[in-house]
Amino acid sequence: MAQAVVPAQPGPLAHADPGHGHDTNTGVSNSKLAIWLFLSSEALFFGAFITTYFLYRGRDTQFLKGPKPEELLNIPFTSVTSFILLMSSLTMVLALAAIQRGDERQLRIWLLATALFGLTFISGQVYEFTEFYREGLTLSSNMFGTSFFVLTGLHGAHVTMGIVWLLLLWGRSAQGRLPQAKSEAVEIAGLYWHFVDVVWIFIFTAIYLIPQH
Amino acid sequence: MTDGTDVADPGTDVVPADAEGGALVPADAEHPVAAEAHSHPGPRLYILIALVLVILTAFEVAASYTDVNSNLLIALLAIMATAKFILVCAWYMHMKQDAPFFRRVFTIGIVGAAIVYGIVLLVFSSTVLKS
Repeated sequence: MAQAVVPAQPGPLAHADPGHGHDTNTGVSNSKLAIWLFLSSEALFFGAFITTYFLYRGRDTQFLKGPKPEELLNIPFTSVTSFILLMSSLTMVLALAAIQRGDERQLRIWLLATALFGLTFISGQVYEFTEFYREGLTLSSNMFGTSFFVLTGLHGAHVTMGIVWLLLLWGRSAQGRLPQAKSEAVEIAGLYWHFVDVVWIFIFTAIYLIPQH
Repeated sequence: MTDGTDVADPGTDVVPADAEGGALVPADAEHPVAAEAHSHPGPRLYILIALVLVILTAFEVAASYTDVNSNLLIALLAIMATAKFILVCAWYMHMKQDAPFFRRVFTIGIVGAAIVYGIVLLVFSSTVLKS
């Protein structure tokens, strides 16, 4: 790629942002553009299910024939799992910072930490689903069950995908196939992971924190 | 731990030209959208943001246990969730430092979703209530 270059500001090392200076029509990385477009569409995707949840919440005469949300939802427990997911965003961004400064060992540590936090979150969700099922709430028992399981289940599926993605990156790095020059691969996985985190911010507020009536 | 800003661009062909170790940034006059070079913040700032996120979450959970007016509580929770969303997007997803083009792409989706589903909620909430 032939490009003219100009000196950066004096300093330890200048950083040319990965999103800039690509030899594409837009001048930005196609891979990053693709993930941003995907995340933009995901906003519409999750928005549909959050809206559906809001439309049906609290309509207990018609839609809540089984267990009611206030009898089931365990806010302290979910607050802890939400905290864990938030912390996974921190470890993810630390993984990116590590690869950008060429520290592959730190990259693997933070990637693994992120995957483990994600796994803990998913374990919490599996435990919660199991408890709700024992209490009599299923996908078809009432509209709360349907909208709750679909929304949180889809989010959980996204987290699971993210964990697989992170572990693949960890494996690539362990084999020495993820050098500093390929930090964009970590950045793209990070964007997906952070998005999954921000979606949970709204799901947590919508389902657990906003009063049902 | 070195600062997260001292990194070389992984995605561009950049050749150092001066002996003092200053990296070079591509001059990309053909692509005005990508003309600026920015720095990602360092780990210290990331940890500080995580701390703010945790504090906001603690406030959210605490607020949900209070007996304040339901509408006021919903407004408070919405504000705090939005603040957390902005913090993660701006700093962890680097929307603040990255090419504005990405920010626009993402904002279209977010604003589009807010408009579409806001209308859906306004139109159908009364219908569902009555059914």
